[in-house]
Amino acid sequence: MAAGLAHPLTYSVILDDALGLHLPPHVYYMWLAMIILFTCAFVLRGRLQLVPGGLQNVFETVVGGLEDFVVLNIGEEGRKVFPFLCPMFIFILVMNYIGLIPGCDAATANVNTNAAMALTVFVYYNYIGIKKWGFGYIKHFMGPVIFLAPLMLVLEIVSHLARPLSLTLRLFGNIRGEEIVLVLLFILAPVVGTLPMYFLFILGKTIQAFIFFMLTMIYLKGSLEHAH
Amino acid sequence: MFFFRRDKPSEAMVLFGNVATIGMQLVAATFIGLAMGYFLDKWLGTEPWLLIIFLLLGIVTGFRDVYREAMRLQRGAEAESAGTRGAGTKDDDARGGSGRQGK
Repeated sequence: MAAGLAHPLTYSVILDDALGLHLPPHVYYMWLAMIILFTCAFVLRGRLQLVPGGLQNVFETVVGGLEDFVVLNIGEEGRKVFPFLCPMFIFILVMNYIGLIPGCDAATANVNTNAAMALTVFVYYNYIGIKKWGFGYIKHFMGPVIFLAPLMLVLEIVSHLARPLSLTLRLFGNIRGEEIVLVLLFILAPVVGTLPMYFLFILGKTIQAFIFFMLTMIYLKGSLEHAH
Repeated sequence: MFFFRRDKPSEAMVLFGNVATIGMQLVAATFIGLAMGYFLDKWLGTEPWLLIIFLLLGIVTGFRDVYREAMRLQRGAEAESAGTRGAGTKDDDARGGSGRQGK
């Protein structure tokens, strides 16, 4: 549910009162997402099978499909950065879906969670670029013509700084908006009004997680490929 | 799975993703330009000038990013249509092969 409305009683508020930690709700729901993913990981690790079934099948479809997608776009180097990309998608997806459970709030509906992830992406793709190209990474900021280089340097710096901002605001705006719409529709017409929206928002939340993943992939591709 | 057709992200999702990314970069770049100009002005004491210059640079950057993104999408669409017309089966084989290698 949307935390922006007056006194939303979510599970995290009750839990916070019981624990007396005074942490904001999105921290609890991020921990919940982490617990879900760690549990899935440990359960699956214990009984990996050659012929997948059930949960393993779902994860193999998602992870395998995303790996194909990354390798198709970046090339074989994509396998090196894939361990960063895929957990990003699944983590955001789980956090988004938690917002659909009544009484829960999506951790991504708070701008702090998204800013942290977007800055991680920003640092990571620059680190990958510097690791691969060394000092020559600056050529990515210079553009093709040498006497336009100072202007292009400024433009590229603005463009690169805008990336984490746009990543943050896109995810935050979409997820927060969906949470607020759910609450408002629930006030207007309980259950009947919200139920059709769930289908739309499952689509919307998956697409937002995928967009975050895909943009990270495009940025990593930009820092991995040769400067023009 | 609804979002993953034949072991890869469904076309609708890729399409939605590509289209939805275009607008935000324009706004973000403009605001980053504005913020850079504002704080540089505060630091150097050249009151309105750097703000104006960097705001314009931010707008230029935003439009350039949108243009680049559109070109990237167009190239992708052209490559796809060329692939289906020409060596469609070969392309499919290559995809399937790389997928199986990964597992």
